[in-house]
This record gives sequence, C-alpha cells and structure tokens, in this order.
Amino acid sequence: MLSRAASSLFWMARYLERAETQARLLDVSLTMALIDVPEDREEQLSVPLLVTGTEADFAELYGDITPQNLIDFMLLDDRHPASVFNIIQSARDNALQVRGNLSADVWDSINLSWMEMKELRKTGVTESNASQIFDWTRARSHIFRGAAYGTLLRTDAFHFLRLGTFIERADTTARVLDIRHKMASASQDEHATRSFFEWTALLHSLAAFEAYQQIYGHNILPINVAELLILELDVPRSLHACLREIVALLEQVENGEARKARRMANSLFANIHYGDRDYIAERGLHEYLTDFLERIQAIAGQIQKDYMGWQA
Amino acid sequence: MLIKTPAEGLYDELFDPNNRVRPHYRTLENWLINSDEALIAEKRREANVLFQRLGITFNVYGQDEGTDRLIPFDLIPRVISAADWQKLQSGLRQRVNALNRFLHDIYHNFDIVKAGVINAEQVFANPQYQPGMQNLKLPRNLYSHIAGIDLIRHSDGDFYVLEDNLRCPSGVSYMLENRRMMMRLFPELFAQAAVAPVDHYPALLGETLRAASLNPNPTVAVLTPGRFNSAYFEHAFLARQMGVELVEGADLFVRKNRVYMKTTVGPQEVDVIYRRVDDDFLDPLSGNPQSMLGVPGLYGAYRSGNVVLANAMGTGVADDKSIYPYVPDMIRFYLSEEPILKNVPTWQCRKPKDLKYVLEHLPELVVKEAQGAGGYGMLIGPRATKKELSHFTDLLKAKPHHYIAQPTLSLSTCPTFVEEGVAPRHLDLRPFVLSGKKVQMVPGGLTRVALEEGSLVVNSSQGGGTKDTWVLEDDQC
Repeated sequence: MLSRAASSLFWMARYLERAETQARLLDVSLTMALIDVPEDREEQLSVPLLVTGTEADFAELYGDITPQNLIDFMLLDDRHPASVFNIIQSARDNALQVRGNLSADVWDSINLSWMEMKELRKTGVTESNASQIFDWTRARSHIFRGAAYGTLLRTDAFHFLRLGTFIERADTTARVLDIRHKMASASQDEHATRSFFEWTALLHSLAAFEAYQQIYGHNILPINVAELLILELDVPRSLHACLREIVALLEQVENGEARKARRMANSLFANIHYGDRDYIAERGLHEYLTDFLERIQAIAGQIQKDYMGWQA
Repeated sequence: MLIKTPAEGLYDELFDPNNRVRPHYRTLENWLINSDEALIAEKRREANVLFQRLGITFNVYGQDEGTDRLIPFDLIPRVISAADWQKLQSGLRQRVNALNRFLHDIYHNFDIVKAGVINAEQVFANPQYQPGMQNLKLPRNLYSHIAGIDLIRHSDGDFYVLEDNLRCPSGVSYMLENRRMMMRLFPELFAQAAVAPVDHYPALLGETLRAASLNPNPTVAVLTPGRFNSAYFEHAFLARQMGVELVEGADLFVRKNRVYMKTTVGPQEVDVIYRRVDDDFLDPLSGNPQSMLGVPGLYGAYRSGNVVLANAMGTGVADDKSIYPYVPDMIRFYLSEEPILKNVPTWQCRKPKDLKYVLEHLPELVVKEAQGAGGYGMLIGPRATKKELSHFTDLLKAKPHHYIAQPTLSLSTCPTFVEEGVAPRHLDLRPFVLSGKKVQMVPGGLTRVALEEGSLVVNSSQGGGTKDTWVLEDDQC
C-alpha cells in the first residue's frame, strides 16, 4: 500500500486511542478529586497533565487547576493540540487522506465522531455533564474499533491501523503506570487509604480494575498492579499484550521480515515475555518503565522509517 | 402534496402542454401527490445528515471547519423514458466516437484540416492545443476515455448538446450517491418503478481504465490534487469502488521514464493514471513550474509510452466552445453518419457576418467566452440590463474571436422542492461516456437543477442543486 496511506492509518488509530485515554484519565482524575482530601485535590487533578506532559501549556492558557478548566483544556480547547477536540479532528483529517483504504463503516464511525464533537463543542461541557461526554468518548472508540475489526480486510491497511492502536496503548499504559506509581509510593507510608485510592485510580484509568479484582482479590499491592499491567497477557492494556500484538502485526505486514522494526519489537517482547515480577522489583518500576518508553518510541520511529519514509 | 404547474411555452418533464402527466412520470406523480408534506420535510433533513456523514462535502479552502458545504439535493427524481434514453445513448456514442477520432486526427494526420472542414488556425492556434502530443501513439487511439456531455431539453422537446467535457468531467459520484440516497429514503418507490441501475459505473470505469493500457494486467491509480479539492470526495469514492490506490503527486516519482508509487514494500510501477489534475499541473517540468500537484518527469514517461493518462493530455482543444460548432461536421466527416443529437446553433463572433448578426440581436442571445467554463463571464441577453448589453457590445467589438453566441434556450423544467412547495425549476443532464474497448455508459447521469425561480444557471458553484436521474427500463409500466 502507499506509504503515505500507511502513515495516515497509523496516526489515525493512534489519535483515536489517545482520545479514549484522554477521556479515561480525565474521568478518573475528576472522580478521585472528589474523594480526595481538599489539600490534595489539585495534585489529583494534575495527573492527566502530567501523563500527557502538558502542565506548562495548561498553566499558560488557564493558570488555576480547577475541574472546569481541566475539562475545557483536555476536551474542547482548539488551542491545545492534544485536546480531544483536536485529536478527533486530526484523526478525521488522516481518515480523509485514506478514504480509499477505509470501509464505509470505519469512515462513518470517525466522521460521525467528528460531527458530534463539533456539536459538543458548541454546547460546552461542564462538571455536571462531563461523565456523559466520557461515556460518549469511550463509546465512539468502541464503535471505531468494532467497525475496523468487523469490516476491514486483513490487508496492510488493517495492520498499520492496529499497529497505531497498540503502539499508542503501550505508550499510555507505561506512562500512566509510571506517574500513578510515583504518587502512590509517595503517600504509601503516611496514609494507607490514600495509597489504595491511587492504585484504584490507576486501574480504572486503564480499564483494569475488574481484572485486578478477579486475579488478585481486594487487597491492592503495588507489585501486583505492576505485574498485572506489565506482564499479564490476558489484560488488553498490559505491555505484554500490546507487544504481542505489535510483534504479530509486524510479522503479517508485507515484506516485514527484512525490517529492523520487527527485530526491535521482538526483542522488547522477549524481554517482557521472559521477565517476572522479581526482575521488575529489583530494577525499580520507574527505571523499568523509563527504559520501556524509550524502546517503544524507538519502535514507533522505526516503523515509520521502515514503511512510511520516502524522504528523498 | 400539490405540484405547481409550469409556465406556458416551456417544456416540462412531468406535465405535457395540457398539464396532463406524461406517462413515464405517472408512478412518481402518484407518489408525490400522496406524500405527506411533513414526511417529505423529514426525509429531506435525513438526506442532509446522511450526506454530511458520507462526507460528500465541499471543503472551502482556508475557511473554518464549520463550512463543509453540501450541494443541495432535491428529492424529486428526474425521469427519462426508455425511448428517449435509447436515442440519447446512440447519439452520445456517436458523438464521443467522433470527438476521439478528431483528437487523434489533429495530433496526427490533420485530415479534417486538409479537407477544409475546420480551418487550421481554429485548431493549432487554440491555447488548449498541445503540440507535444503530435505523433504520440496512444493505445486504441483514445484521448477522452471519460467524457461528460452536457445536454438540455429545449421547448421543442428535443435534447441538445450544450457542451462536451473531455478533460476531467466531474459529478459522477453525485449520480451514484443520489441514487443510493433515494433507495435508502424511499425503497417503496423503486418497487413500483422499473428504474435502470447505475451502480455498476465504477466497474465499467475500472474496465475502461484497464483497457486504456496495452499491458494485459495494468496497475491503475487515481491521481487527485488532494483533500482540499472540491471533488476530493469523488476521487476517493471512485478509487475505493474500483479497488485502486488514490494517489497525490507526492506519492509518485519517475525513474528512467517510468512512473512508480511509493509504497510500504518499495516502488510499484503504475501503468494507468486516472488523473483528476489539469494538464498544466501534471508535471512541473513541462507545465506550470509552480505546480505542487504534479509529478516531475511525468510528461517524459507519458511521451515514452510507459504510462497512460486518462484522459490524455491536450483533449481541451476538442471541447472548446470555438470547436463546438464543428462537432456535427466531425460526425459526418469521420463516421459518414448524420448527427443524432442536436447542436445548439452557434454564431462564431470571429466571423464578421456572424458578429454583425450577434450585435444586431444581442438582447435575444446568450454570449459566452469561447474558453470559459462554470457559468462565469457570460451574457444572457433577455435578462441583461442596458448597461450590460452595451458593455458586451464593446467586448465583442474589441475581441470578437473570444466569444460565441447562441439563441437563448429554454431549459426544460421539472418539479422540485422549494420553499413554497413543489414548483418547476430548470435543469440539465450530464451523462458520462466511457471509451475503452467499446463505448459504454450507464443509463443515467447527473441532473443539475437551478434552484432559483426562473434561473437557467445550474452550476453548483452558482447555487445549483442535483437530482437523482431515472432512466426507465420499460415505458409501459
């Protein structure tokens, strides 16, 4: 397929995954801020900014970290490149570039998200209707995934689209885990309840709370959370699960065997696949995740170089 | 719903001169008068939402995202009887055949010029004539693989060719999407009327494009100027329907006079380019050096015969308004047949005798630029103010060779939803004619309708809308 189309599909899927993450992060932060003690509210609210690395942009545009400011910034602000509004617009722009490679259903799912997003922006979002918007964002994401999974031919268009999804997802899981882990460890000693909430928030942000309950029960231990989100193959947002998909997709991509991205992905996969909780504990979670983030970004860059780059 | 009857002296598609419903409109009329106004209004809203969702919108360059515009779609189809279509089809086939023969001739042997049917200056001094196309052998001698012929029905009930579009005619996606929309909104209507299908157009187009190459299994691509082009939706739509790549200039490169796509598995050679980019922008090395839409070296690859362009370069000379009056002569000259479709009588202002007549009868005539398109820069005599008439008199005297004049035709009308209900509005018809191994077309075309009362300008750039076009398979039912 055309390199430009592969790139558009890859980014389109990354953006749509990002929109969902953004909504989940914000949702959890707003809820946690309500539970939290007043003096820690601001710290709780700032998590989405920390994960997306946008504290400075936010400070410049809004200053005070209030729920409403955060909602405006993260969801609707067209001055903020990573607002859900702009992310969906970017996804739709990319979809438009590859109209020819998308099924009618996939196109419709994205175009309709964009149309509804524009309406949403006109009416505005407040604290009182925010949860509906979070539900909406998640639902739109599910519809896109369902349409892609259910209607696209299993050609490279599909492979590059899914690669975008899993690269973005792996990146997000690692970031969220890293930030929440830092916050939870800081409060661990002083306040056990608070720490419990931090870990709960983390699991909710990654849609893994129920999975944790099923596997480990009610007692939330940091090392279990790390194990779940890094090593547990059955958790859809775990690093292990994402890497397994990435490796499989790169193997299916036409002419994939000759490319460097595939070797890099396999190496990272093996690292997780044969790793265990003791290794992570020994190494330190933050160090482990920092290394992972560097490697997953290198893989993303290599995929673009291998298949999408034609710089003359 | 009540249908407003047409003004006298016009040909109405639905009503005959005695305001009786024409037989081939009976099903539709019956449906219309029995339809509830509120339901129709609801369906109109539904259609608007669906078109927005499909993304058949005009991107207005440089404007806010809120300005994605739709071409207005009218819910009342325009119906063509089987008998009328039979005649149109033979006429279109004949006409496009002759035009392709003409294009081959003026780039090779110049027979028609030698025979004195058209004078040399008319052809060779035409700015659309591409001397570089001379003696370039094209597969099957085809130049205009895809032609859009604009027809109108005059008050005498006959179809007239208003214009031939032999470069990059657009609008076919509206023909297809309008039909899909009607079938979705009013499935019961199609159960009653025997409407000939049009949805195999992309298959025929694909067949035509593959037949344009000597390679038995050619790689075809659609070349678009990009997503800011107003017809981008159509380019993407056709590429998807044909299962070929939609490329932009930057996706292609030329090496050793061969054209390649930049793909994820390396360069892939392209044999046929269905290009929706104008001649001048195709290759910055030979055309407009500022063009960012083209492919450097494409012209060389084309001249080497390694890639086929559809349509060919240099077809514009044959659809020019100054050549238009000669099309009936071309049909006689190349095919030894009498033209089936009528041409609109045309005065060529470069001829002193014609100019004299035009100046004397200006208030009755339509004056157009020989090179113009899109309904711009024309004078409609009966509608013109004194000031406009005198302005055009000056223009005609100063540059007579820039203009042609035609009688003011009364485009036929068809019932159309407007603010105050259902009223007659003027329309035209653009069928799409495909030339490959044979000349083919799907029964139908794009019907454009002027939504302003009395307006004769149907162009979408000037506020025209579109209708679904029905060709009946059998007039008896």
